[in-house]
Amino acid sequence: MKFIINREQLLIPLQQIVSVIEKRQTMPILSNVHMKLTADNLELIGTDLEIQIMANIKFDYSTEPGEITIPARKLLDICRLLPSQAEIKFELTNEKMKVLSGRSRFSLSTLPAENYPEFSETPLENQFYINAGLLKVALEKTVFCMANQDVRYYLNGLMLNISNSKLRMVASDGHRLSVYENELQSPTGYEARIIIPRKGVMELLRLLDDPETDLSVQFSSNNIKVVIKNIIFSAKLVDARYPDFNKVFLQDFRNPIYVQRQILKDALTRVAILSNEKFKGISIEISPNSLKISAHNPEHEEAEEELFIEYQDELTISFNAQYLLDAVSNMDSELAVISIASNLSSCIFEEPVAQPYRYIVMPMRL
Amino acid sequence: MAGIKKIIHIDMDAFFAAIEQRDFPEYRDKPLIVGGNPCSRGVVATCNYEARQYGIHSAMSCAKALQLCPHALFVKPRFEAYRSVSNTIRTIFAEFTPIFEPLSLDEAYLDVTDSADYQGSATRIALAIKTRIQEETGLTASAGISYNKFLAKIASDINKPDGLFVITPDQGLAFVEQLPIGKFHGIGKATEKKMHQLGVYSGNDLRKLSLTHLQQHFGKAGVYYYHIARAIDDRPVKWDRITKSVGVEITLPEDIDDGDEILTQLTALLEKAQTKLTDKNLQASTLTLKVKYFDFKQITRSRTFQEAISEKMDSTALFKDLLKSTDVGTKKVRLLGVTLSSLNDLEPESVAKQIDLFSPDN
Repeated sequence: MKFIINREQLLIPLQQIVSVIEKRQTMPILSNVHMKLTADNLELIGTDLEIQIMANIKFDYSTEPGEITIPARKLLDICRLLPSQAEIKFELTNEKMKVLSGRSRFSLSTLPAENYPEFSETPLENQFYINAGLLKVALEKTVFCMANQDVRYYLNGLMLNISNSKLRMVASDGHRLSVYENELQSPTGYEARIIIPRKGVMELLRLLDDPETDLSVQFSSNNIKVVIKNIIFSAKLVDARYPDFNKVFLQDFRNPIYVQRQILKDALTRVAILSNEKFKGISIEISPNSLKISAHNPEHEEAEEELFIEYQDELTISFNAQYLLDAVSNMDSELAVISIASNLSSCIFEEPVAQPYRYIVMPMRL
Repeated sequence: MAGIKKIIHIDMDAFFAAIEQRDFPEYRDKPLIVGGNPCSRGVVATCNYEARQYGIHSAMSCAKALQLCPHALFVKPRFEAYRSVSNTIRTIFAEFTPIFEPLSLDEAYLDVTDSADYQGSATRIALAIKTRIQEETGLTASAGISYNKFLAKIASDINKPDGLFVITPDQGLAFVEQLPIGKFHGIGKATEKKMHQLGVYSGNDLRKLSLTHLQQHFGKAGVYYYHIARAIDDRPVKWDRITKSVGVEITLPEDIDDGDEILTQLTALLEKAQTKLTDKNLQASTLTLKVKYFDFKQITRSRTFQEAISEKMDSTALFKDLLKSTDVGTKKVRLLGVTLSSLNDLEPESVAKQIDLFSPDN
């Protein structure tokens, strides 16, 4: 196995692959990158058995084909630290991978490619196309509500729902929820729901840096595969049913409250300083034309801010300040539209002009 | 017999070498040395009893060992394997008493004074521990039983290997009197020499020296020598009072591969472990699943959660998810275990309560 490659061709695919490779490995070969060289193509694979990233690099000259695995992180560090535009020569001799560039010489250990675990995949019967820019926004507007290490493990992921031409994504940790709904470019003719695990979602998001790219997404009930130009992202799905979340939207809501988003955000940030560090609880007291935010902590310190609003109702409700901040920070317009359920059991955050995304924040009992 | 303790010292026989011989039948019945390379400056970590007949002992240079027994087998230590066996042994100790103090991978003191098992007979407990070790690991251990750590340790050395020796309170003093000074635990080569210079060759000689005299020559250690010469050793068995994990396991009556049956067993184990924790007023946020296959290969899978594991957890779904990356269902299983760790004190119901979107009471 022998080939010469420009550092810039190798660096980005390698970075993307290394990011899925876990630092602590049960199987030593999983810390390696699998390299498969054919006459004009180099295939690089990295996996943690749950997620796999494959990159293809085309050559316009012939190479000496072969297949091997070598330590991924070490190779990445070598490439990263070589000068920009450096030509790197790879040569496999006596089970060692020689990496040569300019006056630098490295000899890396290898493990045979036949021992590299196969990423098991069931046939992917469903498919849709989406623009990378759109998918990136959809993910960014939802992932912040995803649970992390929750005992309800199906919440540690993102629900993707395709209903003919409609795309819907939902994330929730039980305390808040985000929904993103948009139209696909073309109808798919099917209805499907899957849950992509948290790590997979985060890795996928990282791969969507070019908004112009068109992606093909294929999935079954067990696997998902996204083709992003020369990169193929695959992940195993969470095998569970996502809980029903529609009920929360079907309740009776009071009249919406319109608040200057930035002003609300600043006030929340300041008041939260004196909230209980663990629960971050703040109270909101609404009276005609006034929205008062207050907090106190176990040290009996107190904070209060008053915002002017045009509103006639009276109510008091408490929230985790961080959840409110996350919601208002992930909105774009000048005004935030807040609708509180009649029985004070939940609260919707929207924008004045309908957007594909909206958020639910559940209150706290203080 | 108030105030008299029952201490057991368990010492595995030629630990590293015995594991090597267990795992590699081709090493059996031959002088075997676990340690460094005989061509380098390595030393003997352990050698088996066959090798000891040639005068080889721990800490001897491998080059010297090779000289003494040119046909000895030299193998590199596999600490990973030794640690795993050591963990098994410690789990066995914990079955008998929470009060045990491991000294190294292969030996430990146990305080069974308050143990009600076997009608409180320390000898029978020691025998049961030896049997359990043999069953679980296929290895032999020697046990010493006495009323303090010092004598228990000496006792375990007496009938090695696979030995068991008791020094009762009325034998203690006589036993120490006749003991050569070099055999005292805590008296090494250098101290032995110093003792000989003082005319001390046995426990009896040591007892003749005054406390001040001993302190002058040996400093703080002199106090210890003064007491052990009188068979007195008040050092308690230092055990880990802080519970770090709670585990329960079951060896199945027969090997199974039925997924549903395995789930039922695991759910029951989790419930048991949870009860144990709640009794100690603790809660856990890490769950570890242990599976031993019919061929004794063992794997663990664990998951850590941000909040404590509670009844609201869908344990069946969680176990299913953890089992996905195992061979359960295709390979027969002989043992299942559930361990809860990352422990915290059980929190009182907090005043501030976050309302949950998916909780059934909404």
